[in-house]
Amino acid sequence: MRRALENTCAVMRREAGRLGRQPMYMVLMVILPVVSFAFFALLFNQGAIRNVPIAILDEDHTTLSRKVAQMIDDTPTAIVSYDVQSIDEGERLMREGKVMAIVQIPAFFEKNILSNSQTHIESYVSGTNITVNGLLSKDIQTAVTTFSAGVQLQILMKQGLTRQQAMAQIMPVRFDRHVLFNPHINYGYYLSPSFMPMMLMIFTVMATIFAIGTELKYGTSREWFRTGGDSTGAALAGKVLPITAVMFLISLVMLVIIFKVVGTPLNGSLGVILVGTLLFILAYQSIAVMIVSLLANLRLSLSIGGGYSVLAFTFSGLTFPIMAMWEPMQWVSCLFPFTFYTDIFVDQMLRGTPVVYSLPDLGYMLLFIVLPLLCLPRLKRVATEEKFWGRL
Amino acid sequence: MNRLSRQITSYWTQFRSVVRNEFRTIFSDGGVMLILIFALLIYATVYSLAYGSQVLRNVPIGVVDQSRTHASRTLIETFNAGPNTYVAYEPSDMEEARELFYDRKIYGVVYIPADYEKNLLGGLQANVAIYCDASYFLMYRQVFQELVTTIGQTGAMVEFQRLIAKGANIPQAQAVTQPVIYQSHNLFNPYLGYGTFVMPAIIIVIIQQTMLIGIGMIGGTWREHGLYRKLRPAGRGRMSTLPIVMGRATVYAAIYAVTCAYVLGVHYRLFHFPMNGSAGAVAVIMALYVAACIAMGIAVSTLFRYRENSLLLLLWTSIPVLMLSGVSFPKEGIPEWLFNLGKLLPSSHGVNGFIRIQTMGASIGEVFAEIKWLVILTIVYGGLACIGTHQVIRREEREQTREGE
Repeated sequence: MRRALENTCAVMRREAGRLGRQPMYMVLMVILPVVSFAFFALLFNQGAIRNVPIAILDEDHTTLSRKVAQMIDDTPTAIVSYDVQSIDEGERLMREGKVMAIVQIPAFFEKNILSNSQTHIESYVSGTNITVNGLLSKDIQTAVTTFSAGVQLQILMKQGLTRQQAMAQIMPVRFDRHVLFNPHINYGYYLSPSFMPMMLMIFTVMATIFAIGTELKYGTSREWFRTGGDSTGAALAGKVLPITAVMFLISLVMLVIIFKVVGTPLNGSLGVILVGTLLFILAYQSIAVMIVSLLANLRLSLSIGGGYSVLAFTFSGLTFPIMAMWEPMQWVSCLFPFTFYTDIFVDQMLRGTPVVYSLPDLGYMLLFIVLPLLCLPRLKRVATEEKFWGRL
Repeated sequence: MNRLSRQITSYWTQFRSVVRNEFRTIFSDGGVMLILIFALLIYATVYSLAYGSQVLRNVPIGVVDQSRTHASRTLIETFNAGPNTYVAYEPSDMEEARELFYDRKIYGVVYIPADYEKNLLGGLQANVAIYCDASYFLMYRQVFQELVTTIGQTGAMVEFQRLIAKGANIPQAQAVTQPVIYQSHNLFNPYLGYGTFVMPAIIIVIIQQTMLIGIGMIGGTWREHGLYRKLRPAGRGRMSTLPIVMGRATVYAAIYAVTCAYVLGVHYRLFHFPMNGSAGAVAVIMALYVAACIAMGIAVSTLFRYRENSLLLLLWTSIPVLMLSGVSFPKEGIPEWLFNLGKLLPSSHGVNGFIRIQTMGASIGEVFAEIKWLVILTIVYGGLACIGTHQVIRREEREQTREGE
C-alpha cells in the first residue's frame, strides 16, 4: 500500500514537471476554459429577448386598428418596425431578414366591432426560429386577447352589467398560473448551466488524452510507467489526478460565474452539485483514458474524444427533450455522463429537488468512472510496447 | 510578353504540383479524412436522427381534482384531447403531485378546487391553478400553451351557453364571446419542428468548423515535419505563395463540393428538411460560403505548430460559433458588440443567408447583405492566407539553412 502511494507520488512529481514545461496544458486547463466561461457569461448577460421587429398590415386605418397595433408594440418581445401595404411586401421583408412576423388587421375591423359582429386578426410568424416564434406568438396572442376582452367588457357593461359581473361573464374559468423555477423564462438560466459544463467537459477530455497521448507520440511512455514502479494503477493515478485537481478548481470558477455573474438561483444542495461535478470530471477522464488506450494514437484519440464530447449536448435533452426523441435515440442519450450531470444540475440549481432524487444520477456517473477502467491492461501494453509509439 | 507567359507557365506547374500533393496528403491521412470528409456526414446524420421526431408531444401532466364533478371531468378530458399533453396521473393532493414532479413523472400540474362546478353553474367565476415546469423551455411552452388554450376554450364554451340560455341568438352570442377571432400561421416551418429549425444552422457551422480543424491539421502536420518545402516543384529555387494558396483551395473546394452536394441533395430529402430555395441561389451562397471558409481555414492553418493543435484549440469554439450566428440563441438576446464581432466569421453570414434562401425561398437579391460580407471575408482571409503561407515558408527555409550549417 505504501509502495503504491510512493509510486503514485513519483508519477505525480514527474507530471507536475510536465505540466509546467508544456504550455499547452496551461492553455487547455486554465486559459481556454476561463475564456469560454466568460464568453457565455457575456452572451447571456442580457438574458431576455426583447424588441423583435415585426410588420403591421393595417387595412382598416381606424382608431381601433391603431390601438391593436399599439398594444402589440407594447408587448416585451415585439416591436412594430414596418407598416406595410400588402402581404407581399411583408413577406419580402421577412425574406430579407428584417421582420419575424406580419400582423394583418382586415378592413371593416372597427365597423364590425362597433356593430357587434365578429371580426378577425391574422398573424404570420416565421417558423425558422422556434424560440423567437414561441415568444412572438405568445405576446401577439396575449395582446389580441386583451384587446378582445376589452371589447367584450365594454359591450357587457353597456348592457348594464357591473364590471365584476362582466368579468365573470367573459372569463367563466379563470386560471392562476405558476411558472415554476424560472419564472421570468430567463434564457441565461437555461443555457449557461448547460454550455459551461460542456466546455469543462471538452477541455477535461482534451487535456487527459493529450497527457497520455503525448507520452505515446514521443515514446516516453515506458519511462512514465517505470516512474510508477511499473504499476498501471500508480502510473494512471499519478497521471490523471493532477489534471482532475486543476479541472476541479476550474469548475469552481465555473460555478462562481454561473451563480454569481449570470446570477442563476441555487435552490438545492451545493454539496450535491460539487460531488456531481467531481464525478463528472472523473467520468470523462475515465472515458478519455479508455479512448486513448484503445486507439493508441494521440490525434485520432483527440478526434474521437472531441467528437464524442460535442455530441453530448444534443443528447442531454436540455433543448430538445429526450422524451421527444425516437426510442433508439433515447438509449443513445444514456451513453453520455453529461445527460446525468445536467439532470443533477437542473434538479439542484433550479428545482430544489430533495437530494435523494439526485442519487441515481450520481450512481450512473460512478458507473462511467468504473466501467472504462476495464481497459487498463490494454493501457499497460500500449504504453510499454514500442510498436504503439510515434503514430501520427 | 515572354516573361509573362513564362511566369504563367511556372505558376501553372506549381499549382498542379500543389493540387497533386494536397490530394495525396489528404487521402493518405485517415485523421484528416475523418475530419474533412466524414465529420460533416456523420454529424449531419447523428444530429438529424436526434432531432428526427421534430416535435414534442404528449407531455405527461398531473391533475389534482378536488371537485370530482361532471364539469371537472370534462375539463380534464380536454387536456387529454390536445396533442401536447396527457393526464398521466391524478394525484390526490399537491404533496403527492410534488413528488411525481421531482421524480420527473410529470411536467405540469392543474389544481381544480372543490367549488369548481358550483361556481360554474352559479354564474360565478371558477378558479383553477396551473403549475408549469419552466426548467426546460420546450416542456414549458408545450404544457403552458395547451393548458391555457384548453382552459380558454372551456371558458368560451361556458360563456356561449350562458348567453344562449339568456335568449341570445348564435351570431350575437359568438360576437360577444369572441369579438375578434385570432389566427396565427407559422410560415416555413408549420409544425415548428426542432430539426427544421436548428439543422440548417448546424450543418453550415459544421462545414466551417471541420474546414478550420481539418486544414489546420494539415498545416500543423507540415509544420511539425517540415513538409512545406515539399510543395516546391523539383528543380525550382523559390516558390510563390499564390499558386500554393490557390492549389490548396481548389482541392478543399472539390471535396466540399461533393460532401455539400450529398448533404443538400440527399440528406435534406432523407430527413424532409425544407428546400424552398432555387438551385441557383443555393449554389451561389454555398460557393461563396465555402470559399470564405477555405480562405479562413488556410489563413488559420499557418498558425499551428503541431499536428494536434488545431483540434485542441478549435474544437470548443463550435458551440460559441453557433451561438454567434444568432439562430439557436436569437440575436435580439446577444449583446450587440459581441454579435458584431461574430460577423468576422463566415458562419454568421452563411447561416443567415442559407436559411433565408433554402428555408424561406429568398432570392439572391434578398440576401445581398450576406453575400457582400462573404465576398469581403473571402478577400480579407485570402490575403491573410497568402501572407501567412509566405511567412511559414520563409520561417521553414530559415530553420532549414540553420540546420544545414
